[in-house]
Amino acid sequence: MSDFLSAFSIQSWLESCPQGYLDSTEYGHRPGEKESEAMLDNEDFLEQEIRTTVQLVLGERAALAASSGLINLAPDDPSRMFLATQTLDEARHVEIFTQRLYDLGVKKSDLDGTLANYGNPNLVKFAEVLLEKIDKGDFVAGVVGQNIVLEGMAFSVFEMMHATNEIANPKFAHTLSGTIADERRHVGFGENRIGSLLQAQPEKKPEIQKMQQEMTAHMLAVFSDSFAESEEVIQEVQTSADPDAGPAMYQGVDLNTADSEEMEAVLSNTVIGEFKTRLARIGLEYLPPAA
Amino acid sequence: MDDPLLELNKAGSEQPEARNSSDGARQRFVLGETGFNEVPRKYRKFYRKWQGEGDSLALNEVLCPVCLVVIRSSRELRVGDRVYCMPCMSRLIVTREDGILLAKVVY
Amino acid sequence: MSETVEPHELSQEDFLAEVHSFQFWLEAVDGYLGGTSFGCDPDLPEQTFAGEELEFLITTLCNYCIGERAALEASSGMIRFAPDPEAAIFLATQVVDEGRHLEVFVHRLKMLGVSDPWTEIDQRANHSLLKFKDRLLEFVDQRDWEASLLVQNVILEAMEFSAFQAHAASADPITAAVLTGVVKDERRHMGFGENDLGRKLLHAPHTRSRLNQIARELNTLALSTFSEIAESLGLQGETDVSANYLATMDRLGFPHG
Repeated sequence: MSDFLSAFSIQSWLESCPQGYLDSTEYGHRPGEKESEAMLDNEDFLEQEIRTTVQLVLGERAALAASSGLINLAPDDPSRMFLATQTLDEARHVEIFTQRLYDLGVKKSDLDGTLANYGNPNLVKFAEVLLEKIDKGDFVAGVVGQNIVLEGMAFSVFEMMHATNEIANPKFAHTLSGTIADERRHVGFGENRIGSLLQAQPEKKPEIQKMQQEMTAHMLAVFSDSFAESEEVIQEVQTSADPDAGPAMYQGVDLNTADSEEMEAVLSNTVIGEFKTRLARIGLEYLPPAA
Repeated sequence: MDDPLLELNKAGSEQPEARNSSDGARQRFVLGETGFNEVPRKYRKFYRKWQGEGDSLALNEVLCPVCLVVIRSSRELRVGDRVYCMPCMSRLIVTREDGILLAKVVY
Repeated sequence: MSETVEPHELSQEDFLAEVHSFQFWLEAVDGYLGGTSFGCDPDLPEQTFAGEELEFLITTLCNYCIGERAALEASSGMIRFAPDPEAAIFLATQVVDEGRHLEVFVHRLKMLGVSDPWTEIDQRANHSLLKFKDRLLEFVDQRDWEASLLVQNVILEAMEFSAFQAHAASADPITAAVLTGVVKDERRHMGFGENDLGRKLLHAPHTRSRLNQIARELNTLALSTFSEIAESLGLQGETDVSANYLATMDRLGFPHG
């Protein structure tokens, strides 16, 4: 266990993250990069970006609360040290997405109001299920909820957003690249560390699967709400896009031409597919949301 | 802001140089790197290590009482000036005690 | 090359937002951790230690680890009840700093031939420090921001700051380099604690007597640990580990004694 965890040391984190892919960045992107003007000049596009970014801030705040709460529940010091790096990664994500809201024109004094106004209630419920486990001191359930379910969802959402923004908004795409790199470590730790703990405590499995089931239901509701709300804007963005820009491919779907329903389907299927694979590797069965 | 004195001293040596302006206003200083490395690069020249006995403070410097780092400004410091110590995140006001300029924390 | 910005011209709000940010932390630690491995230049020469000297150093490092472990657990626990998002982000940087300190001290123990540092840490733990840690974590469990901040960022950090600085001045080159890097981090933690507590006390002066009582109870535990450490390292007489702490309490307006 300790040999495996040496790859998750703070020294490795320092070399790969602050001194690696974040070196010479500003709030996660290249210095001087700006948001796309086409988006800033269009009220509907701008509101859509604010709405999306609000969900990212709320998701990352939940991840910050969860990962910091897991430190004191960890059964060993090397795990605590990895979770310390994850805590700081999550804090960085809160900061860079909050900064993006400011870059999109949200005033600092309006931050709380904006988060309250645009925050999806299903995302709040998603976070509550996870934080309840942590408050009860359940490390194994907390890591599955945080590092497999929440991070697994974030990983796919960020990848999809990265594909959409790579050409259209390089600043945001660069911000997302760093977070994707962080999430890779987090899901890696979750799978690797929790597998052995679950083997030792198989009686925990039903309760953890139930948590995953509840979190998945709230997650799918967030996806459904988000794509329904953005249906018209997606069409407008696609109509006004540069016809010579190449495709924005994600999991075989061109996001520059797909409608919101197709987008929701490809995201949901990808996340659920990932859940199934990762959960199976640690000995858990994926449970679909209750009907 | 264009400051002829700053222009004059831009190629300055390691030590900050100072010159009086003709109207008796504050002296201006061109700050050089000090080797202090505990804050982001753009702020480093505003701080230096206190060397202890034998060290002395220039007209543009005060000692942070919280973390004992020397805070530097590009202008001469006077009583009532506000300065920040970034290494320990303190806000300070310059005061005078027994004829010596000191920095006092303001919460 | 980065643009020069006169920090003293920032508004207080902008100053706090700047220094509490991840971005500030990232660029600050880059200055002194760049090129290091486990807190020091990997090419530094190892010193030969006499038997008793090595024993004292190992015990000292084990107790530094207890202090760092306490700070890691406390600072991470405090994130959930931080008064604002900026304070939560600052605490997250402190969490990783404390985790790093634990890691570099454990690595140093391994370099000194300790094969199972985690067990060694538990075996050599100072009882006063363990009691201090338990009390600190009780305040964190109670979500008591002021008490947690006082105990961790004022009492513990201020005493560590003095002890580590004094130890670095007389230690072997590798231990000295590791400690010097740790002291640079402690400056932020100590300053954050004093300034945040100072602002809170301005608005809630009624909490002063309660905090003073907590300080009287806990500074004795921390002081006895760090005085013992100073004595075992032969630093006594030259180092007053409480001086920095007392000066901080004085600035915060707490009576001595």
